[in-house]
Amino acid sequence: MTQQMKRVSVDIGGTFTDCFVAWGDQQVQAKALTTHHNLAQGFNEALTEACRELGVEVGGLLSQVDSVRYATTLGTNALIERKGPRIGVLVTSGFKHTIPLSRARGYGEGLPEEEQMDIPNAKRPDPIVPIPMIREVRERIDYLGQVFWRLDEDDVRLRIRELVDAGAEALVVSFTNSVVNPVHELRVREIFLEEYPGHLLGAIPLLLGHQVAGRKGEYARSQSTIMDAYLHATMYHGLGTLELNLRGQGYDKPMLVNHNSGGMAQLNSTDALQTVHSGPVSGIAASEHLMLAAGLGNVVATDMGGTSFDIGIVDQGGVKHYDFNPVIDRWLVSIPMVHLQTLGAGGGSICSYDRLFRTVKVGPQSAGSDPGPACYDRGGMKPTVTDADLILGYLDPKNYANGHIPLNPRRARQAFEELCDDLDMELADVAKLVKQTVDANMANGIATELRTKGYEPRDFTVLAYGGNGPLHACGIAEVLGIDRILAPPFSAVFSAVGAGSTNQMHIHEVSTWTVLFDPAQKRFFDDYASFNAHVESLEQRGREDLTRQGFAAEDIRYRLELDMRYGNQRVQTAVVTDLNRVHSQRDVLRLIDQFHTRYGERYGAGSQSPETGIRINTIRVCSYVEQRRMAFGGIQDDGRAGQSVQPVGSRQCHFVGHDQPVDTPLYDESALAEGTRIEGPALVTTRATTYLVEPGWRYYAAAQGAVWFTRGGH
Amino acid sequence: MDDVKLSAEDKALLDQFLAEHRLFLGPDPEIMRNHTLTERSQMEQAAIAKNPDPHQIHHIRGLINAALSEGFQMVNQMGAAPGAKWGDLVTGVYTAQGDLAMIAPHGIIAFAACCFYPIRFIIKYWVDDPTVGVRDGDGFIHNDARYGGIHNTDQSMMLPLFYKGELVCWVSSTVHEGENGACEPGGLPAAAESKYDEGIKMSPFKVVENFQLKRDLVTFLQNSVRDPKLQLEDMKVKLHAAMRLRERMISIIEQFGKDAFVATLRMHLEDTETEMRRRIKELPDGTTRVLQFMDSSLRENVLQKISLAIHKKGDRLIMDFRGTAPQFMNRSVNTNIASFKAALCTGLLQNVWPDLPHTMAVLSPIEVITDRNTIIDAEGEMPQAMSLMPLFKACVCWTIPMNKLNYSVPHRYSAIIASQYDQAATFIYGGITQHGDATGNFCGDINGNGQGARSHADGEHSISPVFGFMCDSGEHEINEEDTPIIRLGAQRLAKDRIGFGKYRGGMGYEQIATARGSGMWGFMTGCEGSKFPSAQGLFGGYSCPSYQLMKIKGINIFEELDKNPKVVEEFDIVRLMNERPIPGGKYSSNDMGMTFELCNDGEIYMICQGSGGGYGDVLERDPELVMKDLREDLMSHDNAWDIYRVVYDRENLIVDVEATEKARAEERKARIQRGKPFEAFCKDWVTPEPPTDVPYLGSWDDNTETWASIPGMMRVKTPSDQIQGVFMPNPKDVRIAQLEAELEACRGGKG
Repeated sequence: MTQQMKRVSVDIGGTFTDCFVAWGDQQVQAKALTTHHNLAQGFNEALTEACRELGVEVGGLLSQVDSVRYATTLGTNALIERKGPRIGVLVTSGFKHTIPLSRARGYGEGLPEEEQMDIPNAKRPDPIVPIPMIREVRERIDYLGQVFWRLDEDDVRLRIRELVDAGAEALVVSFTNSVVNPVHELRVREIFLEEYPGHLLGAIPLLLGHQVAGRKGEYARSQSTIMDAYLHATMYHGLGTLELNLRGQGYDKPMLVNHNSGGMAQLNSTDALQTVHSGPVSGIAASEHLMLAAGLGNVVATDMGGTSFDIGIVDQGGVKHYDFNPVIDRWLVSIPMVHLQTLGAGGGSICSYDRLFRTVKVGPQSAGSDPGPACYDRGGMKPTVTDADLILGYLDPKNYANGHIPLNPRRARQAFEELCDDLDMELADVAKLVKQTVDANMANGIATELRTKGYEPRDFTVLAYGGNGPLHACGIAEVLGIDRILAPPFSAVFSAVGAGSTNQMHIHEVSTWTVLFDPAQKRFFDDYASFNAHVESLEQRGREDLTRQGFAAEDIRYRLELDMRYGNQRVQTAVVTDLNRVHSQRDVLRLIDQFHTRYGERYGAGSQSPETGIRINTIRVCSYVEQRRMAFGGIQDDGRAGQSVQPVGSRQCHFVGHDQPVDTPLYDESALAEGTRIEGPALVTTRATTYLVEPGWRYYAAAQGAVWFTRGGH
Repeated sequence: MDDVKLSAEDKALLDQFLAEHRLFLGPDPEIMRNHTLTERSQMEQAAIAKNPDPHQIHHIRGLINAALSEGFQMVNQMGAAPGAKWGDLVTGVYTAQGDLAMIAPHGIIAFAACCFYPIRFIIKYWVDDPTVGVRDGDGFIHNDARYGGIHNTDQSMMLPLFYKGELVCWVSSTVHEGENGACEPGGLPAAAESKYDEGIKMSPFKVVENFQLKRDLVTFLQNSVRDPKLQLEDMKVKLHAAMRLRERMISIIEQFGKDAFVATLRMHLEDTETEMRRRIKELPDGTTRVLQFMDSSLRENVLQKISLAIHKKGDRLIMDFRGTAPQFMNRSVNTNIASFKAALCTGLLQNVWPDLPHTMAVLSPIEVITDRNTIIDAEGEMPQAMSLMPLFKACVCWTIPMNKLNYSVPHRYSAIIASQYDQAATFIYGGITQHGDATGNFCGDINGNGQGARSHADGEHSISPVFGFMCDSGEHEINEEDTPIIRLGAQRLAKDRIGFGKYRGGMGYEQIATARGSGMWGFMTGCEGSKFPSAQGLFGGYSCPSYQLMKIKGINIFEELDKNPKVVEEFDIVRLMNERPIPGGKYSSNDMGMTFELCNDGEIYMICQGSGGGYGDVLERDPELVMKDLREDLMSHDNAWDIYRVVYDRENLIVDVEATEKARAEERKARIQRGKPFEAFCKDWVTPEPPTDVPYLGSWDDNTETWASIPGMMRVKTPSDQIQGVFMPNPKDVRIAQLEAELEACRGGKG
């Protein structure tokens, strides 16, 4: 059945629009430059290229596909460019500066560590909502949801009027403890509609905090709501244009938008904030799907581009890693987002001399893509990782980025001269040191990521994608002691592949004060009805979301996740439980046991403290409909004798651990033919990327353009 | 006895007797007074003799950092103390000799910078003690700052790491735990009059064997504090984080060899020390000074001088603190010299050279001179539970003198900055929670000190504590789940309370708290700066204002709000105190040193986080920045004129540039008119002795003499090298005496 899948999935990035089309038993990829003024143009161009390869008309294709799905970094760009409406905010009296003070640490969110440490130079990001656009309202609710200061409706009307007069184009209401009792926020909306009915010209949207984020934490929730309001217009217009474009070309089904929660929904069921980072998160979704389809075991997904290195974890046992308070751009928010760690390491990372330790320092500053590495010859004067890769012989100056960017080796060498003098080392040795350092930095980042979540790197397969992923994968794996790397199929458009592999899903959660075990009273939780009512309510919300989009209730699946903690800990370990209701003390003990197990896996056996009490802080229900996914077959190396491919030439390359340059055979696109085996050292240069097979590693081309790097017994 | 001549042999015998029959292994001055790196050990010498590759060392450094970061995250996530949740913690690795080598990137420097003292103690006293010993699988706990530490509310877990039977390094994990069984809840007892009021005082002792907590000792510790749950939970957390660190270190040793690992730790220290000397050398030679004043003992108002002169010549930098106030014998605001140096280390890394590695080696080349028995070098039995007072001063003392030296160096490593607000402006609390748990701790607001203004920009509002970066002031919704504290004013910038300047200091915010639903609850505040400003300006910038504690007692705000929701217009300290809108309330303004007192449901306590100092002349402030502060309602119109001399339209905030320039020119002329020659100023201003009506401790003009002048009680001048300390009367006794005198006067002396 999967062979007959017809689907278009798209990842609209800051630079490129990636398109992946599954068309029966054919799968093609295409790229075009992102056209920010009208996203449809870039999309049309990429789709046209894909259709040309498939030999079908665009209209014909769109009328036959089951869905068109989008992942996009549009929101990220909007934040960077500060494109959004003027927002007015109503907060609880006494909390006026909670947002601008950003929990004190807001100055450093989203910055590299060394900038966080440089407090004398600290600068908070320019606020999305300036202080004069924040107003307090007299009201207050306590942690249990009890009102102890009734909403002053006159005050509400006055403050709204002030904000509107000050030019607010969108309003946010974010009251303290509204997630446990939203009565005041809801009443503000009624008042707002009384004063400013929706049919009035110039009507402005109003967002309520508790409806955007269901978790406690007044700052993060307010900031989430602000960002949702801020991005709403950009996302709505950007994606709306795309939907209209599709309609005009014969596509009559709902357009689907990928979420950073790892799911997706129709455009009209999507909050703007849910779309931010959905591109990289789709890469994690693709990794998960690939892991399941190809039986890869635990996977660490790595995406190395020009400026950053994203790390994601896929657990074969189904453990989900979310950030409940992720940082988006420079802001801490409150949404369940698939965990993604970003390091400032990429091809553009700048290399400098570390006077203190007499060695080389790589990053966190980056030359980015403009001016880019020195060898791009676009004005960049500082040595970068890509320059080092070129000096080491790994890159083909005439065939980089499919020939789009000619590289100038002389510029690269010049850029390194000062560093060579400082280090008193030869050029090639410095370049090797750079590669070794950047690989180690990324490996350390991966190791910390995995180990803080209770994993060991050696139990993982590295998935390497992004422009520079297959070039540095062996070096990274070497440091981690990992022997298996997979450059996945369609790695150049892997996030788009992921966009085509996600389920329609909605996540709803509620903060709760549920004590499973109270050590002081020696009591176990017994209010099953309230717990089950919460779960039922969350399921109901998910059901409404999905049935509104045309799904039958019986097709909807639910996954119950509980964020639990011992005593007064901060950590909230997410426990996926197979129970969906609690009916007995035995069920309670089972939840406790599941938490105990997961916690022990993460922090070490014996680290659990059940004697200090056990609590559920958040109940979360993921409601989803399983859908057909892309087919991945023949990914595993079946051990067959390799197909022989002849090198197209050779080049002197320098490798870490080798004093002399090594004559390294070069291969072209033909090495992607399924079954090809090559012993390292070797270089395979394709249109999409360069595969560096370091000495001691083996290369195997699996189906669909996937490539394995292995060593030792693997 | 003086006449007895001992032979060398006899002396050796006596020494041996004394060594074998020590009554008490108290804090060892030989350890506590030495902040420099130890000499290379034989093991280190052998490892470095192999000429390790600096690039490989750097690689290993990266691995150690990753492991420290992992340990830090574990404690941060698993920890139950608010301090752990909001970032007041650290993980560290130490050489086999106990030198602090590296700490977690986001960790609190001072915590780790103190921890090497107890490790050195363990090495000196317990390794060879047959009743203790140090073995693989052991873990030592410690909290008494007299053996190293910031204050007794911090607890550390230290594990020796053996590889193939040889002690290779130490790893540690430290958290500000809060409650520690002191005479007041929360771990910071301002009322402590002796060290015996400070709660549990753990000298370094073994609490872990075979990687397991010893239940008998854990029970003893739980029995000594108000929050046994917290004590158990976080001991486990610290142990498991340290065990994880140990595991990672062993894996690095196995991969690269013991020598490479040992060389990495040592070279990290030595390279850092070399860089420090290089940077010191870059500074111009000369002396710069700053005087800081603490204005309270937290029991009474008394000015305590901290005198600092920085002498710089070549690659030597001397911090001369002589002339500082004498220690209190029965007040808690003393600190010992080891803790003080750890705070100096923090301040240097936070305010001057933040790019340097976070290790004690940065302080190693700096000479520190103090008078003993002063508030920064307290010894013996002196209480020091609120050592935060002088320690916070130590964190910021660098900014004024060092930025003067740094201003003109060719390469700046960070910005030129005025002093950060340096008070622990947060509520400390204790009692029974709404869930029936006993607890005591402090709020995350301690992490929101206003930043000093910079040479290029205003300071950032409430940005970090003086002792760390990327610390978190937290979320009140989450705090309210755990405690009965309800914030009526959570975070509202304190209007007009600003360190003015060409660039102004970052502001602090008002904190208005009450409690509900507890049978017994109370607050305290361990804060100074209510009489004398805390944060100093730089190059003409103003200091921050003084801040007070306000209370509205005898009311229940919840009942009042229920009766009349409009009873309060807004929870704003100034308005509440000026307008006094809540009927029946007893309004009071107090200094911010409040010992623990009970808070009935609905009574209100109000304090402020403070502003950093300003930078530069107020008349040079860009008028548009003044308008911005007005638009943001951070400042009143009065100040726009009184301080900045800006002329503008109050309706639309459009500046009249010409009129402003004129007004400022006139003000400059007026300044000249008001000014007087320096000699004339000195003649009018300088007195040979401190005033008799101001409680004053410290040197006056001559740093070799120290004054202790408390009106009506004492007025003593002592050579600075012979200070003993000041014993204060109980404030209640003083008050009783005052009342009795008043009574006596009312009775007309008729008894």
